[in-house]
Amino acid sequence: MIEAPAEPLPVGEDEFRLIADSAPVAVWVTRLDRRRSFVNRAYVAFLGVSYAEALEFDWRRIIHPDDAARLLAESVAGEVSLQTFELEGRYRNAEGEWRWLHSTSQPRRDAEGRHIGFIGVAHDVTEAKTAELALREREAQLSAFISQTTAGFAQVDLEGRFTLVNDRFCDITGWSQEALMGMTMQQITHPDDLVRNVPLFERAVRDGTPYTHEKRYIRRDGGIVWVNNSVAVIRRANGEPFGVLAVTLDVTQRRESEEALRKSEETLRLATETAGMATWELDLETMEGAWSPNRFDLLGMARRPDARGSFEEWIERVHPADRERTREAALCCFTEGVPYTIEYRILRADDGAERWLQSHGNRIDYGDSRPSRFVGVSFDVTARKRAEDELRESETRFRTIFEQANDFLITTTLDNRVTSVNPAVVEAIGYDEGEILGHSIAEFMDPDQFAISMDAFNRKLQHGGSTRLTVRLRAKDGRELIWEVNSRLSLDDQGQPVALHAIGRDMTEAKRAEAHLRLLIDELNHRVKNTLAIVQGIAQQSFKDDVPPRQARAAFEGRLAALSEAHNLLTREYWSLVSMRQIIEDALRPHGEACRFALDGPDLMILPKTAISLALAIHELATNAVKHGALSRPEGRIAVRWQRLRAEGPARLSMRWEEAGGPAVSAPSRRGFGTRMIERGLAAELGGSVKIEFRPEGLVCVVDAPLPEGAE
Amino acid sequence: MSGLEGLRVLVVEDEPVVAMYLEDLLEALGCQTIGPASRLADGLALAEEQGFDVAILDINLGGERSTPIAETLRARGVPFAFASGYGAPPEGFGDEVPMIEKPYREAQVAAALDRLLGR
Repeated sequence: MIEAPAEPLPVGEDEFRLIADSAPVAVWVTRLDRRRSFVNRAYVAFLGVSYAEALEFDWRRIIHPDDAARLLAESVAGEVSLQTFELEGRYRNAEGEWRWLHSTSQPRRDAEGRHIGFIGVAHDVTEAKTAELALREREAQLSAFISQTTAGFAQVDLEGRFTLVNDRFCDITGWSQEALMGMTMQQITHPDDLVRNVPLFERAVRDGTPYTHEKRYIRRDGGIVWVNNSVAVIRRANGEPFGVLAVTLDVTQRRESEEALRKSEETLRLATETAGMATWELDLETMEGAWSPNRFDLLGMARRPDARGSFEEWIERVHPADRERTREAALCCFTEGVPYTIEYRILRADDGAERWLQSHGNRIDYGDSRPSRFVGVSFDVTARKRAEDELRESETRFRTIFEQANDFLITTTLDNRVTSVNPAVVEAIGYDEGEILGHSIAEFMDPDQFAISMDAFNRKLQHGGSTRLTVRLRAKDGRELIWEVNSRLSLDDQGQPVALHAIGRDMTEAKRAEAHLRLLIDELNHRVKNTLAIVQGIAQQSFKDDVPPRQARAAFEGRLAALSEAHNLLTREYWSLVSMRQIIEDALRPHGEACRFALDGPDLMILPKTAISLALAIHELATNAVKHGALSRPEGRIAVRWQRLRAEGPARLSMRWEEAGGPAVSAPSRRGFGTRMIERGLAAELGGSVKIEFRPEGLVCVVDAPLPEGAE
Repeated sequence: MSGLEGLRVLVVEDEPVVAMYLEDLLEALGCQTIGPASRLADGLALAEEQGFDVAILDINLGGERSTPIAETLRARGVPFAFASGYGAPPEGFGDEVPMIEKPYREAQVAAALDRLLGR
């Protein structure tokens, strides 16, 4: 602004000055020589100098160094152009502040149209400029942010035409920014999703309602991308909507895994249903949900077209005794998320039959606002329950048998260690359980018996099956026990022997009884044969040629009777020791009243064989007394005395038969069986001497013998 | 005639009546009875005295067995027969020893004696 020589101001100079001074902007006038001929008050105030100084002021001094070169160049160019030109830049005011000034310089011409200089106006645009810069900076930041984010941003106008998209949105949709700018969001949305999308979009435009939804875009290459869009209307400052902004997330992968999950769930559901498992879903808000067809079957309910059932309908089918516990378990899962596993009874709706069900359930939560679901499977375990009950009963039964059995039940390992015994074993063998378990069976039997057991064991190992053997065991107190043992190897699934099971029975008594019985039979046989031999002997002696038959028969009968009487006593005493007095009394009884006999002697016990000989001898003596001796007269008496003699050496028996009151006795001419039986038979039997003396006053028989066996 | 006349027979039999019968039976056959002994000890004593040709031994002697007498006789080469109401000869003796079954029968006793004499 170089001052030129004074020249007239446009219009009336005073009027112009008045107007210019009142303007809030700086105004100046330059001449052709570029000298300022006028500046207004605002111009002077900006520089803070006098009017005269302001006319001369070199404004280049106050230009911001960053703007100086540009402003000078533009200024020169503007002046040369002789056209109106504008400048904008920073200048320092009187207070030293940088101010943005926007100036407009317009050429001045005289009446003839000759160029005579410029008139300029400068606005202080600092506030606007600062705001513009700040806005530009924010825009740049936002733009950078939008471009960098993983979310896509797309802005469309109210018809859906794209007006702004970020790079990420282009990535997601597969369309370039340029391409999108000529398209609508409806064009790239999957037709199947538009049905839902369009009403939402229209409502947002109409009512301003934001929405979030998932839909598919069709990519440029024809592929499909699932997106989650959060959509909101954008408005001008006056509230008028001018566009719709969508924040777009690619959820294809999530949708795919969800789909895969759904498919696998479906497969699983089909598999479980095929396996007899019923499935259900329960919406925990409405407390109802989808049931598999066989869940209706399981509960004895009719299948429903909508396949839906409620919690209440189900719990009603649960057996009253199990209902509360079942409900509690389910609620625990609903509220705490504790997995639900339970066995409970139901009463079927149709026939009221009781069935056992096993159920497994879980609560499924979603990250979003969807209500949690309770899903699971149920299956009928009635048969298994029954089998378990039966098994338990059978176990109890066998346990009872095991505990109560009189038989011995034993299990051992393959190396003969006892693993279990029942109480009967403990009682029989006298060792307590602790002394038996874990010990080898060899500890309870003699080596020869263990060898027998091992032999049987090896037979079973080689040929299988069971063995029955009789073994002798040793009780704790040393007693010998005879057991009959039946044993068998128990096999595992592969048929390999794993243990030995044995059942034993105490045969000790049975064997003893058997041996005793055998002995008795042998003895009986011997005695019968022996008795027959005696009878044969008696008969032969009785029926001698010189004895008249009648007399011989009477003698034979008497002798048989004596023999029989002796046997009676022996039988009563079981062929053990018998009383000598009893034998004598019995042998005498047929021959006279008891008062005619005087018996005196200790009650010695004698062997059966001796008793028979003694009975036969007494019988012969008595028979003789009846015929020829004391008993042939009413007043006749017989005294029988015996005693045990103790002197030097072994004890002896002394016995004396003495008759009195009979007829005078003379020795017989011939000695018959009777005499022979007494003197030789009894003597031989007793191993001593027996002498008969035929004294005239009465017969005397004297026995001197060792004390008979058994009489001590 | 039995052909057994004069044969001295040791009789060991514990039952007096039976011994008497056997004695009578032997007497009828013309034999002479040595004994009868009714106990093992008596029988053994007689067996060692050698005053007989053959012997008839009741196996059971009132609870004892006559086996020791039989062993003595066998050792000395004196022929003998067992007599018993039952069963087999004692252990250690077999068919070479004739067995006379009780009750005695004359024919059986005679046959046994014939066998003892090697006839």
